[in-house]
Amino acid sequence: MTDCQISTVLASIQIRVEELGDAPCIVTGDQRVSYQELWGLARRVEGFLKQKGVQAGDRVALITDNCPQYAAVFYGALLAGAAVVPMNTSAKMRDFANWLAHSGAKVAFVDFVPRELQKLPAEQLGTALVAINEREALPGPLQDLGLSCWDDVLAQNVPETAPEVQRGADELACIIYTSGTTGNPKGVMISHGNLVANVKSILAVLPIEQGDRFLNVLPFYYSYGNSVLHTHLVQGATLVLENSMMFPNVVAKKLAQESITGFAGVPSTFSLLLSRGKLEEHDLSRLRYVLQAGGAMPVPVTQQLLKQFSEHVYVMYGQTEATARLTWLPPSRLIEKLGSVGIPIEGVNIQIRHPDGSPCAVGEAGELFVQGENVALGYWDNEVATAGTFIDGWLKTGDLGYKDSDGFIYLKGRRSDMIKSGANRISPLEIEEVIVELPNVEEVAVIGIADEMLGQSIAAFLVLKQGSSLDVRAVKKHCLDNLASYKIPKQILQVDALPKTASGKVKKHILAEQVGEKS
Amino acid sequence: MSSKDKVKNYILENYLFTDDQSALNDGDSFLEQGIIDSTGILEVIFFLEEEFGISVADEEMVPENLDSVNNLVKFIETKSAA
Repeated sequence: MTDCQISTVLASIQIRVEELGDAPCIVTGDQRVSYQELWGLARRVEGFLKQKGVQAGDRVALITDNCPQYAAVFYGALLAGAAVVPMNTSAKMRDFANWLAHSGAKVAFVDFVPRELQKLPAEQLGTALVAINEREALPGPLQDLGLSCWDDVLAQNVPETAPEVQRGADELACIIYTSGTTGNPKGVMISHGNLVANVKSILAVLPIEQGDRFLNVLPFYYSYGNSVLHTHLVQGATLVLENSMMFPNVVAKKLAQESITGFAGVPSTFSLLLSRGKLEEHDLSRLRYVLQAGGAMPVPVTQQLLKQFSEHVYVMYGQTEATARLTWLPPSRLIEKLGSVGIPIEGVNIQIRHPDGSPCAVGEAGELFVQGENVALGYWDNEVATAGTFIDGWLKTGDLGYKDSDGFIYLKGRRSDMIKSGANRISPLEIEEVIVELPNVEEVAVIGIADEMLGQSIAAFLVLKQGSSLDVRAVKKHCLDNLASYKIPKQILQVDALPKTASGKVKKHILAEQVGEKS
Repeated sequence: MSSKDKVKNYILENYLFTDDQSALNDGDSFLEQGIIDSTGILEVIFFLEEEFGISVADEEMVPENLDSVNNLVKFIETKSAA
C-alpha cells in the first residue's frame, strides 16, 4: 500500500449527511439521531479534542457499549486526525489500564455507568477521561471529581474549518486490541486505507442500500461490529441498536416493529433467536439480508436459519487482522456448499499453505494466508508479534482449512490453541497468567472444550501446591476480578500433574481427552 | 429464606462468586453491569424453574421480568400467584 491521499470513510459519510440530512442514522430506544445530528456531534468531538491538544497521530480511546456517542466519538476522533482505540467493555481494570498505557491514549471517552468503569478515575493513568454521560447521569461517586462530560462536548462550537476527510492510505485509523496477554498486548493497527478497502469489498457483495434499516446486536468495538457501523453509514442506512441477545424475544419483536431489513450475528445469536425468539410469530418479511460470521455455525442451525430466511442468508469469515471480512458465501450456493465460508471478497487473495510454505492442492488442508489492502499494518508497538503474523505482505491467519475444486473454503480449526467462545477469540495464556497468581496454584493449563451454544467453553486444569485444597469459587472470583466474564473457565479441575512433552510443553490434547474431548 | 434472599444468593454465588451482599444492589441491571450475559440468563431461567416451580415462557424473557433481583422477585411473585 502506498502513502497516497485517499477519500476515507468520512468522505463517504459526509456525502450521505449532505444527501440525507434529517433521515435517521442511529436509533436507540426512543432516541433517533439523524445523519445531520450525528455529523454535528462528530464535529463537536473533533473541536473538543483539538482544544484538548489532540493532534494527528494521537490515540483516543473509546470505552462504551453501542450508542450514538460511540459513533460520534469514532468519527470525531478521525476528523481530528487521531486514531481510535475502541475497547471491549466487558474487560476488567487491569486490561483497561494496560491498553490505555500501551496505546498511549491521550483522551479516553468512557461510559461510567458500569461499576467496573467507575474505578477508572482512581487509576494513575496518563489519559484524560471524558464521560460520554451527561453530568447529571454520572453515578454519585463520580459527581464531584470534575470529570469532563458529554455536556462539555455538546457545548463545543462546530469547527469553522472544512472537515478533513482525505487522509494518507497508511495513516492509522484505529487500534483494536485482540487476544494478547498483559505482557504481550496485541493491538491490531487498522489504517484508513484498510477501512476503505474492506468497506468497499463488503459492499460489493452485500445488498446494503440507502434506506435499509439494520438491527445491530454486535458490539462496535469488535471488528465485525465495526464493519457493520461503517458499511451501513457509508450506504445511508439506519442502524437500530439493541445491545444484547440476553432477551431474544425483544430482538425478534424489534425486527418486526422497526421494519428491519438487515441483521447480523454470530452462531450463538442465531441459536438463541431460533430457539427462544418465536420468529414465526413475527412479520419478518422485510428482511433482505441476514449475515452470519464470527465462527463456524453448527450445520443444523444453518439449516434452521435457511428455513426461516431462505435466500437471504450470507455466511462470511474474517479476522480483526484483516480489518473485518475476508470471504463470503453467495446465498445461491449456500445449500450446495453447506459448511463452507465461501470465496474471497473483492481485493482479497487467500492461499492455503503447508507448514513449509508450499501451496496446498485442492482438498488438502493447510493454513490460510491472506493478502489484500484490508490486511492491517501490524500490531501496535509489538514488533515480535507483528513479525510472526504479517509476513512478506501476507497475513498468517492461524486458521486451518482447505479449498474445494470450485475454490470454496472450508475451515478446519486453528493452528494455535486459541479458544473461540461465542465470537470471542481468547488466549489460554491470558487466563493461565491470571490463575497462576493465586498463592495455592503451582501450575495451570487452560483449554477450550466443545460447547453446543458457544462453540467452545473454557476448562482450567490446576496443579495445587502441597497441602492446598481446591476452592472453585475463589478461583472463579479471582478470574472475575481480573478477566472479562466470558473468559472465566466454566470448569475448574484439579490434577496431580500436567502431562508434558520432554521439552516441558503441556500436552493439552491429553487434558482435552480427560474431559471427553476428541483429540 | 425469602424469595429475594434465594435469588440474590444464587446470583452472588454463580455470577459474582461471593457471599458479600454489598456486591450487588437489588435494583442493579444485570445487563448494564455486565453481570449476566445471553447464555447466563438461560441458566437463571433454569434456576427459577427448578427452585420456584414456575415455567418461563419465551415471551416472558424480557428485562422487566428478569433484569435485576427486584424484577426477578416481582416476576416470581406474579407467577406464583397465577
